[in-house]
Amino acid sequence: MENIHPIIRFEGIGKRFPGVQALRGVNLEIRRGTCHALIGENGAGKSTLGKILAGLYQPDEGRLILDGRAVGFRSPRDAFLAGIGIVHQELAFCENLSVAENLCLGSLPAKRGFICRRSMKAMAEQTLAVIDASLNVETVMAELSMGQQQLVQIAGALAGGARIIVFDEPTSSLSQVEARRLFKLVKSLPARGITSIYISHRLEEIFELCDNITVLRDGCVVATKQASAVSEKELAAMMIGRSLDAYYPRRTTGSGGKTELLRVKNLSSPGKFSSISFSVNAGEIVGLAGLVGSGRTEVALALFGLDQQASGDVLINADKTLITSPGEAMRHRIGLVPEDRKRCGLILSMNARENISLAILEKTATFGWVRRKKENELAQTYFDRLRVCAPHVNALAASLSGGNQQKLVVARWLAADCRLLIMDEPTRGVDVGAKAEIHGIIDHMARSESGILLISSELPEVINLSDRVLVMRNGRLAGELPRKQASQGAILKLMAGVAA
Amino acid sequence: MHTLNHLFRKLFNSQQSGLVIVILIIGVVLSFFAGFHVDHLTGQKINNFINAYTLMQTGTDASFFAIMAIGMTLVVISGGIDLSVGSIYALSGIAMAMFLRSAGALSPVATVTIGLSISLGVGLLCGLINGVMITGLKVHPFIITLGTMWVFRGIAFVASKAESILVPDALTSVAKADFLGLAIYPVPMLIMLAVTALGALYLAGTVMGRHIYAVGGNAEASRYAGLRVNRILVGVYVVSGLTAGIAAFVGSSYYGSASCADATGYELYVIAAAVVGGASLSGGRGSAPSAMLGAILIVLIRQSIRTLHLDQNYEWIIIGCAIIVAVVFDRLNARLTAKRLLTESARARSEEREA
Ligand SMILES: Nc1ncnc2c1ncn2[C@@H]1O[C@H](COP(=O)(O)OP(=O)(O)OP(=O)(O)O)[C@@H](O)[C@H]1O
Ligand SMILES: [Mg+2]
Repeated sequence: MENIHPIIRFEGIGKRFPGVQALRGVNLEIRRGTCHALIGENGAGKSTLGKILAGLYQPDEGRLILDGRAVGFRSPRDAFLAGIGIVHQELAFCENLSVAENLCLGSLPAKRGFICRRSMKAMAEQTLAVIDASLNVETVMAELSMGQQQLVQIAGALAGGARIIVFDEPTSSLSQVEARRLFKLVKSLPARGITSIYISHRLEEIFELCDNITVLRDGCVVATKQASAVSEKELAAMMIGRSLDAYYPRRTTGSGGKTELLRVKNLSSPGKFSSISFSVNAGEIVGLAGLVGSGRTEVALALFGLDQQASGDVLINADKTLITSPGEAMRHRIGLVPEDRKRCGLILSMNARENISLAILEKTATFGWVRRKKENELAQTYFDRLRVCAPHVNALAASLSGGNQQKLVVARWLAADCRLLIMDEPTRGVDVGAKAEIHGIIDHMARSESGILLISSELPEVINLSDRVLVMRNGRLAGELPRKQASQGAILKLMAGVAA
Repeated sequence: MHTLNHLFRKLFNSQQSGLVIVILIIGVVLSFFAGFHVDHLTGQKINNFINAYTLMQTGTDASFFAIMAIGMTLVVISGGIDLSVGSIYALSGIAMAMFLRSAGALSPVATVTIGLSISLGVGLLCGLINGVMITGLKVHPFIITLGTMWVFRGIAFVASKAESILVPDALTSVAKADFLGLAIYPVPMLIMLAVTALGALYLAGTVMGRHIYAVGGNAEASRYAGLRVNRILVGVYVVSGLTAGIAAFVGSSYYGSASCADATGYELYVIAAAVVGGASLSGGRGSAPSAMLGAILIVLIRQSIRTLHLDQNYEWIIIGCAIIVAVVFDRLNARLTAKRLLTESARARSEEREA
């Protein structure tokens, strides 16, 4: 009896934002104890639906039926009390506080108004024990990796007695190993009677985890299918409304040119990485794989002049150069798509056009004057090519969905006309259609003699695009695999440090 | 009517038109309630607010605030604050007056040139000191400029021995040039308009202007985009100091003297003008014409207390409340406009798609 009634039913849910109908007439049933996937293009309304369930947004129309009763959540607290937890796409924490303080923030144990540190610590440790996570609860949140921060959030939700957990693109910032740990956790939830709603752009993990799949497009439900009854291709077609030739097209040619763009010799930075040596040729895509925390991002930052401690030799076009600032890097036509779009990428108070043109503005200007027409054309080109879903190119960056914000950061650097482009997780949170477009542009750049250093935790992406794959482990280069030998297994072995 | 509307929209954005409307309303209400007096020369009945003298006085007062508010707007957009502008004004004025006094008799052209270079130079230098300390020492601008606010005024005090120093007539005859002999002195207002126009062009049209918005919106991301953040920040404090120097030149020349107590407390008016004009203290937002309108609004409110013969003792309370109300209304208005604009554009887009 219990299992037949859905635990949640969305009835005709509609939600408007200024200029955008984010959801319209969404009808959806989530069965108790299942893992239900929500997929769709960037801006399709997935996060909005999740946020409505979690009480962050109120729907303009329609009802939410929980356990057969209509509910109206006025705040996240209401939803939390009703047993709904959410793991956000953009992790939201008080970064300056400790793990324990974050976990207990809603109900800090206190005696006569003073925080009782000991019981807070105990409480936090108990919470983490629920998911078998071992972390020092006194660590400051900012010092944890994304994966660890996420675990803290999941633990918090579970300990709060959540019966339903919404995961909004949980793996977009995790390494493969961290993701596996998460999958184990998600798979264990039904046994505990917990229902999960799983939002992701990675279809393979959806097939691994989920029972049912709902596809959203332009705020409407396209279909709800059993995972066992559809293929990746069908889903991709449903999402973007046209068929995609190959989900991950493998680059055909690409032996890489002969001119060396970048050579790095014994690059080291204390406490981050040491003796890194490699090269990137013109027309070559070099993948950089490794666990989160293995030093990939740190190497990228050092190459872009953002690490003052770095030492070693960097040769650009065979000239010995020590790059000490991003401005200098850009003068050598090096660009970096940063990993953390919120902190290092976007300027939320600016609009899409201004975000896209930011890095190239100075170059296109005449005597310091912005050429508005040129700027508009440039921004509009990439805005359209990456299919940014927003009312127009002058929409505020803050109002865009996560994946569309990512597209802006990628567009900025694609527009910047770089000779060597370092991309750190460029397709994080980006939908299949735009991902294919970004891959296409990367490929095109390589064909027109640019060099690409591609960092990605998504191994299929690295494997299919790269001419060579470098693997990092614990701040060192663990190995280099030519295109032919770069299989998932070989890379994973190097990443984990198992003898191949 | 339609073209007029169009012109208005072109000249002012919605936020500015809100300010213009409020300013006009206050003007109308004031002229209505101000009452009349009889001019003893001509025997005509004259409105206590709508008369050349009062309007000009208000406009002149607003000019000094507005000139500095343009510089302050740049600072506020970059995410900072400059508490030292009042003191920079005093120091620039004193420096100019003292130098010209010691220089003795000079030709009018030389007097003006030297006076202008000294007041602008001192303002620029003070701004440079602020900017270099803020970026070099990595201390919050509030603290640095709070410190220099006292230091700069202290230097002015020590240097002038707290005396008021007269400035040469040549300067006054420029700053207080009479328009067609009508006892109307438009120079401060013209300079205000010029500085505002320059500020607006700079912010909206130049790469540097755009970079200021970017740094104020997200300094870290700006660094990653290759912007020279420190240089940009030093720049805004230099401009802020420079506008204080301009205001000091015009102000001291107009009134004929400089003293170390000049412009005491102006920094708060100036910050208020920028914020009433829609600049966001958390950075990334603001505009020069709005800051000018903000300055005019604040001066107008202050003026209305005098014109309506309200108790002078309530001046602070009224101005304080007015600033809070103005900012709250502005935020409300901004939200509504954003909504309207987005809806309009979305409709246009969907129509486009259907067509
Ligand atoms: N706070 C907001 N203000 C204005 N518009 C918003 C806001 N939040 C979302 N939107 C708009 O609503 C639509 C749906 O956004 P939503 O975040 O739900 O997309 P999504 O499916 O989660 O996309 P993604 O895969 O990129 O995360 C988008 O067009 C977005 O621009
Ligand atoms: Mg989302």
